[in-house]
Amino acid sequence: MFLSGVEDYKNKTDMKHIYSLLFAMLLLTSCQEKESLPKEWTFSRTIQLDGVNPIGIVEMDGKIWLSDGDQNRLVQIDSRGRIEQTIDSLDRPMHLDAQGSTLFVPQYGTDNIATITDSSVSVLSLKDSLDAPAGFSVYKNEKAIADFYNNRILYHNGTDWISFGKEGKANGEFYYPTDVQITDSLIWVADAYNNRVQVFDKTGNFINMMGQNQKMNAATGIFVSETEVFVSDFENDRILIFDIDGKLKQKLSKNIEKATDMLLVDKELYVINYRNGQINVFELKEISPETAVQVSNKKE
Amino acid sequence: MKKTIVVTLVIGMMTMFGANAQKAMDTFMVQVDGLGCPFCAYGLEKKFKEFKGIKDVKIDIETGDFSFAYPAEKELTMAAVEQQVEKAGYTPIKSKIERANGKIEESAAASLSENNTGTVTKNVMVAGNCGMCEARISKSAKEVTGVSEISWDKDTKMMKVSFDAGTTSLTEIEIAIAKAGHDTKNHKAEKGTYDGLPACCHYERIAK
Repeated sequence: MFLSGVEDYKNKTDMKHIYSLLFAMLLLTSCQEKESLPKEWTFSRTIQLDGVNPIGIVEMDGKIWLSDGDQNRLVQIDSRGRIEQTIDSLDRPMHLDAQGSTLFVPQYGTDNIATITDSSVSVLSLKDSLDAPAGFSVYKNEKAIADFYNNRILYHNGTDWISFGKEGKANGEFYYPTDVQITDSLIWVADAYNNRVQVFDKTGNFINMMGQNQKMNAATGIFVSETEVFVSDFENDRILIFDIDGKLKQKLSKNIEKATDMLLVDKELYVINYRNGQINVFELKEISPETAVQVSNKKE
Repeated sequence: MKKTIVVTLVIGMMTMFGANAQKAMDTFMVQVDGLGCPFCAYGLEKKFKEFKGIKDVKIDIETGDFSFAYPAEKELTMAAVEQQVEKAGYTPIKSKIERANGKIEESAAASLSENNTGTVTKNVMVAGNCGMCEARISKSAKEVTGVSEISWDKDTKMMKVSFDAGTTSLTEIEIAIAKAGHDTKNHKAEKGTYDGLPACCHYERIAK
């Protein structure tokens, strides 16, 4: 009787251990599965704009600003696309950027960079002359300008301006650059009509190229996050997404029509369509292994 | 009463002068090849701002139709307009001017914009890959009467060409090269001709 009680106890203890072990394994397996599920950008919703043909997009103080080249203005919109503020009397504002409470707006028609703080407009002082500035980037105390007709990038390292690039197809040369972005250690350029992205160090040395084999037709806009490079393929109505080293990860085409720029807003990807005045929003979602295989095959 | 008559006369004269000023505008219509995006359209518009007095600029990205009005007294020529289109990086396909006096001028663009004389040297981008491309580009350019020297760099894709501007034009040279299968900055080769090039010559096409 005593022995059977001991055995019972032992059995119960063993069972407890087994249950604990099984539970731990289950937990571990489920965690592993969750971690290994791949993610991809998936269409979420469309924000329809009213009478805006956006070229550039930027977030400032939590608000979205768009450059409306056709109407020579900037508009600030709410989450449903309704215009809340307008800054008029610009001349073909293009890919803009912001820092603090200041908007930096390349004015394609007047060859200058407008700086706008609290609706007060002034012009960035430059010694060099521009010919149709199409993109601007500001990062810490650094600035860069995509100088469209001069086929070059002007870059200010905080102390001096340098210029790099000339018309051509070789590494480090441009054929109408339309957008630029500075990151921690690199400068990224949408080399529009060479249909590629070029990457430079901060002395203007060519480092890398991406998208050159993707048959893009006018790479008009670029946005670089910590892990990904987004490029608008204007004529083909696509957004190409590369990893930082230039490996193609994904192509977006749903609802994309003559897209010109992209922006990450609260972990969502905003893509602006020039033609039909839409912002299409994409979310990063987990996909099933089967879909992942299909996506991988599609890319190849 | 006197005041009323004076004011009426002034308004009448202003209206008359205004109407005359409006009438004295030539209207230009150019169909442009290579306009694909707002950057191109705004670029074309920007280059034409150099023509002081230009008004009513309209550009249709989809069709490539570009029109504007310009003071008749300045007698802007079709050649000058087409040259400006080329300066902006695009190709005029056909042009039409409706002069203020009712006269109509039309042209199928091609070589009208370059009517200089003497030898000139110009650089232009020509797509290609290899030594065979270089030979083909050189040969097609040299076959154009008036071309004296030509060189093409396969790394930079830039062609340097010297020619007698009284005999030919850069446009004609670019067209000849495009006919041989190579895209140039302003002229695109036919797909069939491009496809017929040897595999090693299948360069990345110039999209614009």
